[in-house]
Amino acid sequence: MEKKTYKITKKDLYDLFARLSANYRVFLPYADGQRLDFGEFDPKKEDRIELGGIRQSRPVKGFINPPREKILDTSRKDKRPVILAGVKACDLASFILQDFVFLKGEVEDPFYAENRNNTIIIGCDCTYAKETCFCLAMEGAPYPQKNFDINLSPAGDSFIVEVASEKGENIINNFKMFFKNHSATDLNVRQANREKVSREVRYFIDKRGTPDTSAIRGAVKKSYNLTELWKDFASTCVECGACNLVCPTCHCFLLYDEKTAGGNKRFRMWDACMYNTFARVAGGANPRKRLYERLRNRFEKKFDFFPQILNYFACTGCGRCIEACPGDIDLREVLKGLVTGKWNKPPHE
Amino acid sequence: MNNPYAYTEAEILKVVDETQNIKTFTLRPKTGIGFRAGQFMDVSLPGIGEAPFTPSSNHYVKDVLDFTIMRAGRVTSLIHQAKAGDIVGVRGPYGLGYPLNEFKGKEVFIVGGGVGLAPLRALLYALFNEVNDYKKIVLKYGAKTSKDIVYKNEIDSWRAKAGHVDIEISVDVGDDTWKGNVGLVTTVLKPGLVDVNNAVAIVCGPPIMMKFVTFKLLDLGFKENTVYLSMEKNMSCGIGKCGHCRIGPYYACKDGPVFTYDKIKDLPNIWD
Repeated sequence: MEKKTYKITKKDLYDLFARLSANYRVFLPYADGQRLDFGEFDPKKEDRIELGGIRQSRPVKGFINPPREKILDTSRKDKRPVILAGVKACDLASFILQDFVFLKGEVEDPFYAENRNNTIIIGCDCTYAKETCFCLAMEGAPYPQKNFDINLSPAGDSFIVEVASEKGENIINNFKMFFKNHSATDLNVRQANREKVSREVRYFIDKRGTPDTSAIRGAVKKSYNLTELWKDFASTCVECGACNLVCPTCHCFLLYDEKTAGGNKRFRMWDACMYNTFARVAGGANPRKRLYERLRNRFEKKFDFFPQILNYFACTGCGRCIEACPGDIDLREVLKGLVTGKWNKPPHE
Repeated sequence: MNNPYAYTEAEILKVVDETQNIKTFTLRPKTGIGFRAGQFMDVSLPGIGEAPFTPSSNHYVKDVLDFTIMRAGRVTSLIHQAKAGDIVGVRGPYGLGYPLNEFKGKEVFIVGGGVGLAPLRALLYALFNEVNDYKKIVLKYGAKTSKDIVYKNEIDSWRAKAGHVDIEISVDVGDDTWKGNVGLVTTVLKPGLVDVNNAVAIVCGPPIMMKFVTFKLLDLGFKENTVYLSMEKNMSCGIGKCGHCRIGPYYACKDGPVFTYDKIKDLPNIWD
């Protein structure tokens, strides 16, 4: 559909969230010191709402594909639809992969499908970039272009509103009084911000020499036997799985059963391919016994497997894994090493 | 809701001790579950957990399923404590079975090791069902000792099938009671047993056994695309979503677990 655009003031938007929270669970980003994190809308915390900024510290995948979800029975407590507001383009991109895994193929995952249908996504442009941002290298941009119902672009004390789906259209129609026409100047303001943030991201990419997808294509396969590279980068890995868990595209899960007084329960819980137990079978066989093999597997899955089966690099350039790694393993440096065949030993060595 | 993670309850009808650490469980699911030889299912102890197994029974028998299970980890140890009358869960079948149509008119050369004979028992039953469609059926089976041979009481009845089933068992370590071959199963894979130009080979067993058997078969002249291997990886969800059983560009749970050697030979760590 053709994307319609409006304008809404910040005050009206917060009033809209308050009105919507009667029928929806509304989550949006709050500033918490240096970090941004999703929280449920609370009119008393308006001063801490930060819709612009950068991606939140936690990936948005957790709302659709929760870290732990009960999957044996279907009697789930809170069925109110969810609105996620302030979602950044790098997280929106991850839905290409999450949707592919959980909705496509011979069998659809009904729990994911229900959560996905039950969620309205309001995106928001980034208003600055962080040193770890590299979305532009991964075919993304610091402003949403797809996978949202409504997008907000901060412009002074207002937001430019872009509507991209029927779900989004319904909200606009139900609350027409909040939405005004915008001027051509407003769109110029939006464009200027987008260009500014893009320049910032590009600066960080260039400063680091982070390769882009055209250079990365085939690089894992080509450098598969650069064993020293994989060993060097894995040498500081503590197998915590943080890189997997904060990654918006990582989707692997573990089935876990539990006996309780209320009956037998089965959960789907996030799993991490960096763990030694991930591919190990009961008899003890394990195709990836060594840590460096597991690190290499992580890159193979993201930069080789998914491009091969989906024509999609399972990395959105959000940079969360770089920040989360206690061993200072920097995905950009690994990629650079793969592409150039040259790398520096990690700082801990 | 069509819940792919939900299981069907099944009653254990019979438990047979095969060896010290292998038992065969005969289950009757509440609602019939069909499968094709080579496909696998997840068997669960409700509230405890589940694990993937390939049924070892005849896929033409629809109301009961056999699972031959080795005690190897947490779930299998607990399954081994189950008795007739207990209820377990079954979901599946998953993956691709043996392509029986492609085997027709050919000599079928089967090599099994240890509990790897379980999926091959389902295959043999399927072959016996249309035994004249196959030019020859050869089974070479290796076990650690004579005490580790599974289906001991059945194997003679397999030998009798239609007169053209050739079965040989080898044990790694012999004893006074053992009259057959002593040595790894590769020692009984000899030239001339089948016409490699019109034969398929099916291998299932521990990874190290599959590796050396595969190399031996290639030495004997089998083409890479006629050697069928059971790549039993850590299959969990069964539907290509949980990620555990990925091997190169495949998920063993949906693209396998049976692969021809040519498809996987270039992938790393396939024998681990």
